[in-house]
Amino acid sequence: MTERVQRMKRLLLDREYRKERSEEILDFSGDIDAQTDYGIFTAYMQKTLENEKPLFYGDDIFGFNRSYAHSAICEDNGQPCFPSHIPCNNTPDYSLLMKPGLDRVMTELRQKPKNDFYDALIKVLELTLAFCDRYRQAALESGNQKLYDALSNVPRNSPTSFYEACLFQKIIIFILRVTKHEHITYGRFDQYMYPYFKADLDRGVSQEELFETLELYFLSINLDTDTYIGMQAGDNGQSMVLGGFDAAGNSVFNELSRMCMEASLELEVIDPKINLRVSKRTPDEHYRLGAQLTKKGLGFPQYCNDDVVVPGLIKLGYAPEDAIDYTVAACWEFIIPGKGLEAPNVTAMNFPLVVREVIDRHLMDSPDFATLMKHVEQGIIDKIEFLRARYNSLEKLRQHRWYRCSPIMSLMTQGCMESGKDFARFGSHYYNLGCHGAGISTAADSLAAVKKMIYDDQSIDKTTLLTALKNNFEGFAPLRNQLLACPKMGSDDDYVDAIAGQIMDYFAKNLNGKPNNIGGIWRAGTGSAMEYVRFGKVTPATPDGRMNGEPLACSFSPTLQAKPKGPLSTIRSFTKFDLSNIINGGPLTMELHSNVFRNTDGEEKVASLVKLFVLSGGHQLQLNTLNRQQLLDAQEHPEKYPNLVVRVWGWSGYFRELDPEYQNHILQRTQFMV
Amino acid sequence: MGAIFSVEEFSTFDGPGIRMTVFMKGCPLRCMWCHNPEGQSFHSQYVRSQNGCLHCGACLAAGGGILTADSISVCPQNLIRLCGTEISPEAMIQEIEGKLWMLNASGGGVTFSGGEPLAQPDFLMSCLDMLEGKTHRAIQTSGFASKEIFAEALKRCEYVLYDLKLMDSELHKKYTGVDNRCILENYRTLATSGKPFITRIPLIPCVNDTLDNITQTAQFMSQLGVTKVELLPYNKAAGAKYKMLGREYITDFDPSVPPQSHTEVFEHYGIGVKIL
Repeated sequence: MTERVQRMKRLLLDREYRKERSEEILDFSGDIDAQTDYGIFTAYMQKTLENEKPLFYGDDIFGFNRSYAHSAICEDNGQPCFPSHIPCNNTPDYSLLMKPGLDRVMTELRQKPKNDFYDALIKVLELTLAFCDRYRQAALESGNQKLYDALSNVPRNSPTSFYEACLFQKIIIFILRVTKHEHITYGRFDQYMYPYFKADLDRGVSQEELFETLELYFLSINLDTDTYIGMQAGDNGQSMVLGGFDAAGNSVFNELSRMCMEASLELEVIDPKINLRVSKRTPDEHYRLGAQLTKKGLGFPQYCNDDVVVPGLIKLGYAPEDAIDYTVAACWEFIIPGKGLEAPNVTAMNFPLVVREVIDRHLMDSPDFATLMKHVEQGIIDKIEFLRARYNSLEKLRQHRWYRCSPIMSLMTQGCMESGKDFARFGSHYYNLGCHGAGISTAADSLAAVKKMIYDDQSIDKTTLLTALKNNFEGFAPLRNQLLACPKMGSDDDYVDAIAGQIMDYFAKNLNGKPNNIGGIWRAGTGSAMEYVRFGKVTPATPDGRMNGEPLACSFSPTLQAKPKGPLSTIRSFTKFDLSNIINGGPLTMELHSNVFRNTDGEEKVASLVKLFVLSGGHQLQLNTLNRQQLLDAQEHPEKYPNLVVRVWGWSGYFRELDPEYQNHILQRTQFMV
Repeated sequence: MGAIFSVEEFSTFDGPGIRMTVFMKGCPLRCMWCHNPEGQSFHSQYVRSQNGCLHCGACLAAGGGILTADSISVCPQNLIRLCGTEISPEAMIQEIEGKLWMLNASGGGVTFSGGEPLAQPDFLMSCLDMLEGKTHRAIQTSGFASKEIFAEALKRCEYVLYDLKLMDSELHKKYTGVDNRCILENYRTLATSGKPFITRIPLIPCVNDTLDNITQTAQFMSQLGVTKVELLPYNKAAGAKYKMLGREYITDFDPSVPPQSHTEVFEHYGIGVKIL
């Protein structure tokens, strides 16, 4: 780490720089004289940029930091007329702006017919360029020659160096942030940035210099994460996908991919959150690099298995050349960058609640387990139809704050410029919606317990079970202990794993490919997002022994009640299915105790474990390295651990900034140790 | 039949690659620092986890003053379990079989540990025989066994993890309850057998981390041409499981003193040291 990088990292971690931002909350209500979406957008953008002041921290070579800690308010009759959560959880095609530069894009736009859409695109570019000119002047005045020189070229023109390319992207990200876009991810950074990186290398720029630039860039994108916090501090969508394979099956993991891994390893900060695309062709060495990063305890890399994901996306109707270019949205949803507006996280299925309701209603009249499972399938179908109906028109999606127009995202989405339509008005290719599948393990464990105790062993009668559930097991401790001892997912027990397979099959078969009324289809997934806590709260006791309100497992993982035999059994339990049929995204999450990494053998073994997961046909894997003692201490003494990072669901954040219930969930997960 | 108390799937310190380790129940030694006290008795025992215990007394009431099968079901926190399973070699192998490809793909295998695996020779040999040619087999042993049993086990595995605790036979008796003569004898056999193995020394503060003991150990090893050793510094958490068994962890050494590793002594004798 160079001294410059060290200085920047210190600046980031001591957080003092945040005081330089204004805490004032600007109010544009009444100042915005516009009626259309685009009119409001550009007016809001103009006012925000007018107020933003160029702000450099230390010898920051990127700038474009927020000078206001909070977004401006803009209300009309008490209703926000420019709400946040406007297009979110998406990956644009940065190269659509970066390759030509904004001047050329502008020239092209001026040749287009005059209408609201093209006017908005032009306006957004004009405002961006005007702001960059102000920044350039400020850079000159503050003696930041490097930034000044770079801003003389970008973003008007195509970048001439890797540094300029990063700066170009930082400007775009800044504009997205001030216009309240959330969870816009970096996508396949190592691919679209590679030409600039390679040109520098070919020109004789040293690896060291490029590494310093990359590290400074990574630090720079951490500076403002506290100003856009998503559901929880750290849930900011700054994901990055590295590696992958081309159509011929050749690895596209390059020198820049490696450098990104190494920078992340050295910096140990929460962003970017690294995803690594792997397959059965991935060399062991990449797994070792990944394991070194896992050891840091940041909760990434997350692994995505091309062998499962790509065929899965093709089955859903994606063109093979798009499927091969997949990336992940903010957490783990598989999407295609710059080719539409997909909402893979628009809603979620609460499997445990469906199961509990089916048991309440149909256990008595189900003479055998097969009959009960038929009711479960019907319950899942009913829930699917309910959820589909909630989002079955653009109007309804808009009511839920989805599908808002964005001139900036349209500039970076293929087809919009040509079609003259916004990316949220179907100017591009893919408009699919995704439904998470939360609590699969709780649902499967619950049904396994019913199958075993009611139908197979006949060790309890139906009324007793229903009464115990209704009473949240109060007065039924022995029964609950028996239920807890029933087969659970995570221990490679076909008895329960087969039931999970059935549940997933019902879900996938009745949802995948169903039209969504906005020109796309529905996709079923294995994720939970924050629903593992939220659904847990509203779901009463379940027959796996879980009590009222207790959380579900995070995404596709053993429940908190299960005591898995070990990581190999857990991998087997969660890879017995053809996961390409349920490919909206959502990882198997496993916790490793930090003592696994006590010596270098540990890295080797964790690397092997990930490889085994991939060879087993898993789709997505997320490993956490935790030290329970340390986390308990961090709850008691947060001041001692200001920079302790943990993975929460699809993202990593600083432990001390999390709500206690999320802290506790992490503590309750089984940690595999030696 | 064999008695086991746990099967670990990802034991990263019990040999090469990803390994499944079968912890066999029962040990003829009583090391004062033993961190797996549930591995000492050959019999199954009811154990109660401490974390989360409400001290409601329901378990003892149900069992008439002791923990029994009835205690398991009444515990409101589900903290009581039976530690120890009687299992046939066939059932044992069946449990491992589905994961063999995973172990093999990582260059790993199966390790029999304990307790003391050599204390259940029939079960051990049957298991090792059934795994022959299917995976990499290892045993982790104190070496306390007859030379016949040791030789039989040695024939049936590819790797041995061997503990050397104390060279002085009186001290060995005091701290482990048994004489070390057969241990040193079997070690000689191992060191001259050509079988790959690793020597492990648990470093216990002021017990065997003395310059005297380390020097004697290094001399003994070097005479046999041994060139590497792994040291396991005593962990303060070693006593954590005694309460679970209703026992007290009593030592005559001070667990808070960090043990000395004297790596220079081993290096002087040409023995490479790895600290785990």
